[in-house]
Amino acid sequence: MKFISDFTERFGVKIEFDKKNVVEKENRYFLLNDRLKGLITDDFFYAGVYLGTVKNGVFLPSVNLLKIIAKKEKANKVFVDERSAWLFICGRDIFKRGITKIEGSRKKGDYTLVLNRHGECLGFGIILKDLNDFEKGVAIKNVLDIGDFLRREKKHQEE
Amino acid sequence: MSQKEFFIKRYEALGWKYHDAKPRQAIRINITNAEGWDVAERLRTLGIELEKIPFLENGYWIKKTKFSVGATTEYLLGMYSIQEAASQIPATLFTDLRDNAVLDACAAPGGKTVQLADLMDNTGVIVALDVKKNRLTALANQLERCSVKNTVVYCLDARKASKLKMKFDKILLDVPCSGNFAADTEWFKRRTFGDVQRNAKLQREILAEAVNVLAEDGEIVYSTCSLEPEEDELNIDWAVKTLELKVEKISCYGEKSPTKIFGKRLDSQIENCRRIWPGKTQGFFVCKLKRA
Repeated sequence: MKFISDFTERFGVKIEFDKKNVVEKENRYFLLNDRLKGLITDDFFYAGVYLGTVKNGVFLPSVNLLKIIAKKEKANKVFVDERSAWLFICGRDIFKRGITKIEGSRKKGDYTLVLNRHGECLGFGIILKDLNDFEKGVAIKNVLDIGDFLRREKKHQEE
Repeated sequence: MSQKEFFIKRYEALGWKYHDAKPRQAIRINITNAEGWDVAERLRTLGIELEKIPFLENGYWIKKTKFSVGATTEYLLGMYSIQEAASQIPATLFTDLRDNAVLDACAAPGGKTVQLADLMDNTGVIVALDVKKNRLTALANQLERCSVKNTVVYCLDARKASKLKMKFDKILLDVPCSGNFAADTEWFKRRTFGDVQRNAKLQREILAEAVNVLAEDGEIVYSTCSLEPEEDELNIDWAVKTLELKVEKISCYGEKSPTKIFGKRLDSQIENCRRIWPGKTQGFFVCKLKRA
């Protein structure tokens, strides 16, 4: 599961799941507790905690994995104001003026979690410019946000 | 006689006078996921007016809202689910779900699966089945949104649950049914008595298989959103007589089920079932079964 720990490292923390607890199904990865591990059979559709999927060689995390990373004190995080939080959930990027607090990396190219004023993880993005170096403009590019659940629901209904 | 007249006459024979009903939208707080927040209060500050549902611990009716309650941050964080009031009842009828092996035999789209996981505090294990693969995606999304950790989902017909080679402490049978007019405005046009009979047969097959995978002291909660006795009391009467089950007393919203239906005398235990006529909620039927 190196690609998962590599992914978490981009947030400044290395999380390694025990291989024995992670199962793969059609390129989707799930973290199982002991009870589930003991009973699961190969033909399952979904199990335990969904961690993410690999598409075209790229790991796409689940919201659950982001929540696990967010629990780590040293993970890169930006806290944003209410308006920015809402726009982020709608798929928009984060402007520098919307950021109220930064924890961890401020370096261009690093991943950072986006949290609202309550400290709840709304998704993650890529730092577009060193966060110390500028005052205005887009600071974090949205990669994944929890609004994705709604977009999935809509897509599913259309199908 | 029109379809509508046919069904309405049956309801009258059961002692209920037909009237239009539009169930109110309801939500259920996911306590495990709320992480100490007073979610109802958070929603109130957003401008969503709520009314506590008196017969549910974590249920609220939406009184007034300017936007969709399915598009708030709190919803996307899994702090609550949108779940009709009556359909919140079945999962609450089990005794002590923690650490149990639970079968949710007809699980999609997953509202009750999430509720079970919440009541279990993510302990034990839930095996969630649905026969339609395209419905499993919706179920998986619900589980991910609400951070459910104790569930495994299979695309499997509930009538083949023995294939799992497991025994379950608790089994939720929220079986496929004919629905009711309060949940579907076109219901009287869409449904025929033939549909009711077909569903009743399927439900009996699911009930019979559930008994095969039920642990010795296990519990089954059976529910439908059908008002048709063939899918409700008559099926449970059949289960009592054929599958050697007994109907447990339950304490929940709804009327005691009648023990005489269309001239047929049913087992006296049937009065332990609950029938909910459309009004404050949609139409519903629920009961709890154990081995006799």
